Amino acid sequence: MDDDDRVFKALADPTRRHLLDRLFERDGRTLGDLASGEDMTRFGVMRHLRVLEDAGLIVVRRSGREKRHYLNTVPIQLIYERWIDKYRAGRVSALADLKKGLEA
Amino acid sequence: MAAETTQVYQLYIKASPEQVWEAITSNEFRGKYFHGSIVESTFKPGSRIRAWSPDHSALWNDNEVIESDPPRRLVHTWSSLYDTEMAGEPESRVTWEITPQDGGISKLTLTHDQLDRSPKTAGSVSGGWMLILCGLKTVVETGEPLTASLAGMQRTQAG
Repeated sequence: MDDDDRVFKALADPTRRHLLDRLFERDGRTLGDLASGEDMTRFGVMRHLRVLEDAGLIVVRRSGREKRHYLNTVPIQLIYERWIDKYRAGRVSALADLKKGLEA
Repeated sequence: MAAETTQVYQLYIKASPEQVWEAITSNEFRGKYFHGSIVESTFKPGSRIRAWSPDHSALWNDNEVIESDPPRRLVHTWSSLYDTEMAGEPESRVTWEITPQDGGISKLTLTHDQLDRSPKTAGSVSGGWMLILCGLKTVVETGEPLTASLAGMQRTQAG
């Protein structure tokens, strides 16, 4: 699995997307905080966090006795540049060419 | 450290730590991904990092190097002088960490913290760092700035 595979796999799950949204609202949360907002066991949430960490979508930092989870938006931007911006730019220039062709 | 106002960015770059350090500290590289700014600094502890607008008319940053351990770690203050409201907020702190990985890859982690009393700055830099770091990766891996590579791709498609 390459980096993109891991990001797409991580994003292909509603609980994991929800965890990212909660970190977007407020960053640096603990496992306890994140687990209390999900309808599943602490262990289940831990497993999802692990997938997100492997994909680079969260970075875990130890702060004293606690582990803090930080949202890392860079992989999403890289996906955007690689998989969205490219095709959008292609479509826009194709439409522009069509317009030019029709108006010529 | 207030966790909720700390921002963390991490990415992997196909380059040695030395090359990544060079991309962070050399003016030639920085101009290609850091909003075209011109940087002046020795990047040694205590020295200033001054970043100017591309035409050198406006001072965008005047930060101080707190820690410098090439090619692994650079810590400096941050203040956004390009906006009067943000310039009035207290200084925050930026930490760059470069960790070599297997296969000629470096992990770059940027932490922007001490933003507790600088909400405007925090809001402004959050999207900014993401774009700057993606741009840095592109410049180091391909030698070309992101916008130029996109323009080149569009030209190829159009032609």
